[in-house]
Amino acid sequence: MKAVGARLPRYDGLAHTTGRTVYVDDVRVAGTLVAKALRSPHHHAAITRIDTSKAEKLPGVRAVVTAADVPKNVYGHLEALGVPADEPLLADGEVRYRGQPVAAVAAEDVETAHEAVAAIEIEYEERPALFDIRKGLDPDAPSIHQWGPVYPHFGPYNHRRVRKGDVEWAFEKADVIVEGAYRPAAIEHCPLETQIALVVPEASGRLTVYTCTQAMYFSLGVIAAHLQVPLNRVKLIGGTVGGGFGGKVDTAAETITCLLALKAHRPVKWRWTREEEFLASSTRAPWHIEIQDAVSNDGWMLGRRMLTLHDAGAYARFSPYGLTKHGFHHTGAYTIPNVHFDGFVVFTNRVPTTAMRGFGVTSVSMAVELQMTRIAETLGLSPWELRLKNANRIGDTTANRVVMQDPSTVPVTLAAAERVGERLGPEYTAMTPARRSGELLPEHLAAQQAPEGAHVLSNGGRS
Amino acid sequence: MELTVNGVTRAISSPPLTSLLQVLREELDVLSPKAGCQQGGCGACTVLLDGEPRRGCLVPVAAAEGHEITTVEGLGTPGDLSPIQAAFHQKYAAQCGYCTAGMLMASHALINRNGGREVQREQVIEALSGHICRCTGYVKIVDAVIAASRGDVDVEKEQGLLVAEPSEPAVEPKGAPA
Repeated sequence: MKAVGARLPRYDGLAHTTGRTVYVDDVRVAGTLVAKALRSPHHHAAITRIDTSKAEKLPGVRAVVTAADVPKNVYGHLEALGVPADEPLLADGEVRYRGQPVAAVAAEDVETAHEAVAAIEIEYEERPALFDIRKGLDPDAPSIHQWGPVYPHFGPYNHRRVRKGDVEWAFEKADVIVEGAYRPAAIEHCPLETQIALVVPEASGRLTVYTCTQAMYFSLGVIAAHLQVPLNRVKLIGGTVGGGFGGKVDTAAETITCLLALKAHRPVKWRWTREEEFLASSTRAPWHIEIQDAVSNDGWMLGRRMLTLHDAGAYARFSPYGLTKHGFHHTGAYTIPNVHFDGFVVFTNRVPTTAMRGFGVTSVSMAVELQMTRIAETLGLSPWELRLKNANRIGDTTANRVVMQDPSTVPVTLAAAERVGERLGPEYTAMTPARRSGELLPEHLAAQQAPEGAHVLSNGGRS
Repeated sequence: MELTVNGVTRAISSPPLTSLLQVLREELDVLSPKAGCQQGGCGACTVLLDGEPRRGCLVPVAAAEGHEITTVEGLGTPGDLSPIQAAFHQKYAAQCGYCTAGMLMASHALINRNGGREVQREQVIEALSGHICRCTGYVKIVDAVIAASRGDVDVEKEQGLLVAEPSEPAVEPKGAPA
């Protein structure tokens, strides 16, 4: 326990400050080839012809790969968790976002690699593209995904749903209905180290993969599945990441680099340019969130109806998981006894979206907190007191019927109020997370309260 | 052409319009400058030319010939840190580390330019305004530069030590398995 409470130097601090940290781009292997990709210039198009023969014949070109070279082209990051796959490693017959990789080359130097990419003959037939998730479910929306406009595999539903209590009752009972729409935008992770991989085909038949991934075991599984080789054929060396922020959870550069190294029988490095990073690396998703809250004049939140659209971009990747987290947190840090949540993962012709710092949750937290302030303004109440009144308490159940054991809403809100010098009434400053009772346990909150000592409530036929 | 890097002069064969960054990294294996954007936007490739910070990705190598080039490798080593390196280490000014080399070089140049006086916060912010830390560790970076300029860094203590300093007496956890 010597480390607890102690000020410890960073284990990598000396290497960082002396320039000795070895990132993937700093690994040197003799005879390494340079990789470059042919990327789609269109947001949505059919590929009507592709001919790589001229590129292959260029002096200095050691490998050219297309979808035809991938043993298993379509594989999903979450297949192991039952989320089916939809995304090809290299575009096959069509492209669904600008920047999508269609082919890749490995050459002796960067100039030759660029020349080879330019020598690939390809023809496209442009198709209508969709960028606005709010239009994804319109009858005349362009068809862009084989699964339809939305990810369809949430159990029996084509959306994630949360139901609890009697939301109709709440809206009949409400004094005021407060509505809000919130639209967090896409954000590029923009790590200073762009996506990069260096793959060395070993004499033993193994591939040594130097990677900047944040998720070694995802990458291991994804590479082995695309290549259709046992896991022990792929050795990953990573752990040193020049910034990731979630953007290096997807396996971006490794697998295509592996294909090139196998075909060229040479080490290959693929470092994305800054332009590629902005064009084709995944982003944080844009969202569209609509909230309707049934509230009483004295500041009780009786019920919530909520609709969320999550922009997956062109393929599902982690979006179903992100939306599930979003739905889990859709009441925020507050107790709302009657809820009706529907969330859709909508496909668009944008770059696929992915993890970024609490993904799924930051969007819902932003929407919920803005909505709380909007309710307080509508009712003419203190936004602090509204939050404290409806704060999660021990024994409250969340929308997902998790019983609160030690909720932090009250102490955190009180600490924040103190920091900014907010003066609250004594009934609020004396609050604790203790079980509701007295005035804090109005009739409408009684049914949601778990019995003392309960951990998780069963559905109990209450949905 | 010849290039003098960290006091050592070496012959190079890259064409004269090759970027200094490319030559340092790919021909001379000087790896601390990073290729963050290769268009002068991020500062990760910053090196010193005769003591002044320059973007390695924007300087044609021909323009660097005859000048003293300094990189982090020339500032100090783990056993012999320069004050700015010790300050970055001591003040936790490096997170992922990819921007650190550029930040160090620009900060080192600022402190030298300032003639031994303590640098002001605004000066540091201006000197590092072209440097992106996407981990957003700017506060610690600025604090480190100010501390280094004040001499408020215990260089000796930072020489490769990894010593915990408990704020309270160590306590054995209760009920821990034997």
